[in-house]
Amino acid sequence: MRPFAYAVPATLDEALRALSEAGPGAKLLAGGTTLYDLMKLDVETPPAVVDIRALPELAGVDTAGASELSFGAGAPMADVAADPVLRRDYPALAESLAKAASQQLRNVATVGGNLLQRTRCPYFRGGLAFPCNKRRPGSGCAAIGGLDRGHALLGGSDACIATYPGDWAVALIAFDAILDVAGPRGSRTLPLAGLHVEPGDRPDREHTLAWDEIVTRIRVPVTAAGRGSTYHKVRDRESYAFALASAAVAVTLGAGGTVEECRVAVGGVATRPWRCHEAERELVGAVLDRGSARRAGETAFAEARPGRQNAFRIELGVRTVAEALRIAGERAER
Amino acid sequence: MTNAEMPRVGAREKVTGAARYGADHTPPGVAYAMPVVATVGKGRITRLDTTAAEAVSGVLLVLSHLDDLGIVPAGYIMAGGYAFQSLQPLLDDRVAYRGQPIALVVADTLVAAAEAAGLVRAVYEEEPFAVELDAAGTETVLQEEALPLPFLADVVVGDADGAYERSPLRVDAVYEAGPQHQVPMELIGGVAEWRGDTLVVHEGSQSVGALRGGLARQLGLDPDRVEVIAPYVGGGFGQKNSLQPHLAPLAVAARRLGRPVKLVLPRADTFHAASFRPVSRHRVRLGADRSGRLLAAIHEVDQQASRHDLLPASYTEITSRLYDIRNFRGRQRHVRTDVQTPGYMRAPFEHPAAFALESAVDELAHAAGRDPVELRLANDAVKDPVTGKPFSSRHLAACLRRGAELFGWAGRSPDPCSMRAADGTPVGWGVAAGAYPAMTVPVLARVRAGADGGVLVEAGGHEMGQGMTSALVSAVAQDLGIGAGSVRAVVGDTRVAPHHLTAGAWGTHSTLLAVHAALRELRERLGVPPEGPVDVAAAVAATGEREVVTEAVTRGPGQPPEAVDRMRAGLVAPDGPDYPDHVAFSFVAHFVEVRVEPAAPRVRVSRVVSVADCGRVASPVTADAQVRGAVVWGIGAALSEHSEVDPRFGGFLNADLADYVIPVNADVGAIEVDFIGEPDLTLNPMGVKTLGEVALVGVAPAIANAVFHATGRRPRRLPIRIEDLL
Ligand SMILES: Cc1cc2nc3c(=O)[nH]c(=O)nc-3n(C[C@H](O)[C@H](O)[C@H](O)COP(=O)(O)OP(=O)(O)OC[C@H]3O[C@@H](n4cnc5c(N)ncnc54)[C@H](O)[C@@H]3O)c2cc1C
Ligand code: SF4
Repeated sequence: MRPFAYAVPATLDEALRALSEAGPGAKLLAGGTTLYDLMKLDVETPPAVVDIRALPELAGVDTAGASELSFGAGAPMADVAADPVLRRDYPALAESLAKAASQQLRNVATVGGNLLQRTRCPYFRGGLAFPCNKRRPGSGCAAIGGLDRGHALLGGSDACIATYPGDWAVALIAFDAILDVAGPRGSRTLPLAGLHVEPGDRPDREHTLAWDEIVTRIRVPVTAAGRGSTYHKVRDRESYAFALASAAVAVTLGAGGTVEECRVAVGGVATRPWRCHEAERELVGAVLDRGSARRAGETAFAEARPGRQNAFRIELGVRTVAEALRIAGERAER
Repeated sequence: MTNAEMPRVGAREKVTGAARYGADHTPPGVAYAMPVVATVGKGRITRLDTTAAEAVSGVLLVLSHLDDLGIVPAGYIMAGGYAFQSLQPLLDDRVAYRGQPIALVVADTLVAAAEAAGLVRAVYEEEPFAVELDAAGTETVLQEEALPLPFLADVVVGDADGAYERSPLRVDAVYEAGPQHQVPMELIGGVAEWRGDTLVVHEGSQSVGALRGGLARQLGLDPDRVEVIAPYVGGGFGQKNSLQPHLAPLAVAARRLGRPVKLVLPRADTFHAASFRPVSRHRVRLGADRSGRLLAAIHEVDQQASRHDLLPASYTEITSRLYDIRNFRGRQRHVRTDVQTPGYMRAPFEHPAAFALESAVDELAHAAGRDPVELRLANDAVKDPVTGKPFSSRHLAACLRRGAELFGWAGRSPDPCSMRAADGTPVGWGVAAGAYPAMTVPVLARVRAGADGGVLVEAGGHEMGQGMTSALVSAVAQDLGIGAGSVRAVVGDTRVAPHHLTAGAWGTHSTLLAVHAALRELRERLGVPPEGPVDVAAAVAATGEREVVTEAVTRGPGQPPEAVDRMRAGLVAPDGPDYPDHVAFSFVAHFVEVRVEPAAPRVRVSRVVSVADCGRVASPVTADAQVRGAVVWGIGAALSEHSEVDPRFGGFLNADLADYVIPVNADVGAIEVDFIGEPDLTLNPMGVKTLGEVALVGVAPAIANAVFHATGRRPRRLPIRIEDLL
């Protein structure tokens, strides 16, 4: 870790100013569970850190709204995971947080910071001795042809196959979440689907936020499909582990169990939160049963590109989608 | 308060944070060190640039091979030395493995030391290397030839190959386990401090005597000028069983700077700074008659080694004795690779050996169409098939019978894939047995009885969470019939006694043996009967002295007095399990229920029953905890723990607690523990055998056998992960 300047602004305006003054390279600090971790590994070396955790504009959760749910970017993961309305009406959202990290981490980590966590690729984290295009553009990718058990099957490139590790963003993308973003040039909204980018030939670029912007809120349009939803996560151990494969699924069912509305996203298997529109289209109008659920999973992974060790996660991913559809179908009101 | 109700000694201190571990020691003026490690798999350092590091504000010193540290290697623990490996880094430009330390930065603050360590630049001349058993460039040597010592020779009884060929039922399979790391919560690290000419070291260690002897050798000091203090060890599991190479350079830095220096290795460094469980591959051949009666066994092992040392292997010590096999042939080989020297990790040989043998026995039971418990009982031994001597005690059959009853084994349906939970989830039941040698080491113990009625025990031994101090306090309180509150025990401190390494589960009973002897002498000095309650205050007052002190040195039954000299020097000197008149082993049986999640398919351990034969139970609270902890270890070893190796780079890649997957509470089902509790008075007067290691032996194969029962698929490599069952 290197010494850095540290500021604790009292308002959003002050924070934006502090960020602009510190210049590119400065970093926002929320819970610090990603940022400090990466600073200790020398992956992040910000000269200045602006602490936004306690900003009033980033606080608060509102799950009672008529048209949308609203989450302050600074809300702790643990609080949102425990929100009773969310647990009842949008179990996929609550579960994606409850099944992430550990209780201790969730107590300090924020739902805003969570979106911008970085890959767990061990070569990326392991130090400059490993070729890694994300860490040192142009140096190569050690994961390709290496230990890629946890690497992405979807959305990778010849330059990088790093998995986007988060759970919450996968559930959010299934629900068409929107971000409120504040910046020195004013405020804007950004669909979550437009936040993360695939590595392409620039794996060091992971998202579309400018360095001087702050996510203030995450909003989710109200939908009846929330009730019939789940975040199903398969991992090597029952807690404190990233997904080998996960699926955020929401359905509403009509007469005879036909799918009316449907959302499918997969996590732990792609370079960004991955919405599976094609699988959704296939399901709508079909009777939700084992066969259709499995086919939806197969469609979700139709484009999967396996490496050396991770091919098993295609079949695992297919089964995870199918299992999530089964659980969501049971929860959906008919 | 009865023995069974006595709480763990130190529990309150640990829970409230009052307990002070080695590196918690923060003397005034302490400076902080941080290592720099090699980032190539093998080679030479051609240039080491420390200018940028030295320019960081607060940096005091950068030690490397460019400097003359004035130290010599401490020698390999298994070759007359003190260190986990013979190689002492920082003495020359050689890089033997990825992750080897190449420099040590010392600074006023931890932050400055860490920043500066990141700025040291090394240029290497790289050499080809091999880190996997099958890689080109490894070298395979026969243990018998490379380590020509009688007790390391291959075990050969009868004509195993002939008997195998003639057997009507045969199993021939290859099993593999490891590499793994111990990952105790307490990181490796300590504080070196000079008080005049005396070096004082605070460091969590299972062998303060080795640290003392080793540092004395490395620095050219009289051992009396080295004090090592480790009242608590935050888990060792073999990782802290010898001198680590950071300590001598730390002492050099402290001397040069004239101030104490502290080093706590980052978690990632601990994967390369100390020993680990090597990968081992086992070919097991079993021959039996049609009923499953074992006629022959051949157990051939290849174990990973470093280039510079050979870890003496004893896999066949238990596989040749778990059953009454009259024809046995063992063969142990070492495969030299470019890593730090692998070493002891809880049940180092016995866990993988039992995985191999007990899986093969399960394969045999399946082939013979016999119940696996019945088959094991039918093959039980009454005397040691290797030496022909009696066992000091052997209650494996009782473990199997009691375990089967507690588990409800009679309700098992024999065919694979034939049991399901109410919700349709496939269920499997598996069993496996384990054994572990009961070794004894020399110990010095002193008992101080005070006029206030208090008793202080000072003894060679280490409290690493396994419950040594609880066992000592409980033993003294029981013996003298006084309250546990009047007894205190000091271990892990070279200022009070010389110390043998505490490992191999020999700690508790060896130290108890010495305490027992010191207590007998105390009673004599106090003029009280050899047994029965003692009014300590009155008895001491009657002597007219303020304190009555007795001391005893004990050793194993077959040990020559030189063993005591070795102990005093901090060298290893275990005795057994082959004693003059008997062989001594502890035994265990594990019964496991797994559920295999239908969608994933992930193995969940829902229920375990473990029954151990460890002689008399010395400390019920900590003994129960030992077995539970071992079962959790076994779940990790069987299902998730694996140190990942990328052959293109060397070293271990998943070097943190997020990626090295140890189980969490939610991965552990119900555990029921029971003990046979028969005292083994042949082994020692307390009747205590060993427990800490045997408890792990057999957990992994019981899980693997349950997986086979649930799925019909035979796991032959650990860990058993989703991809193996998909
Ligand atoms: C051992 C471990 C296990 C974990 N397991 C999981 C898991 O299973 N699933 C999972 O989803 N996550 C997991 N995590 C990740 C964890 O959830 C994230 O680290 C956490 O959510 C990040 O939130 P934070 O508030 O601490 O962010 P910080 O570390 O403070 O910030 C993270 C990044 O976001 C930026 N940032 C923060 N807030 C804002 C904002 N409002 N606007 C713009 N940029 C911002 C920061 O500058 C930084 O780059 C794990 C983490 C660890 C350490
Ligand atoms: S997968 Fe991406 S992050 Fe990992 S080594 Fe390759 S380039 Fe780096």
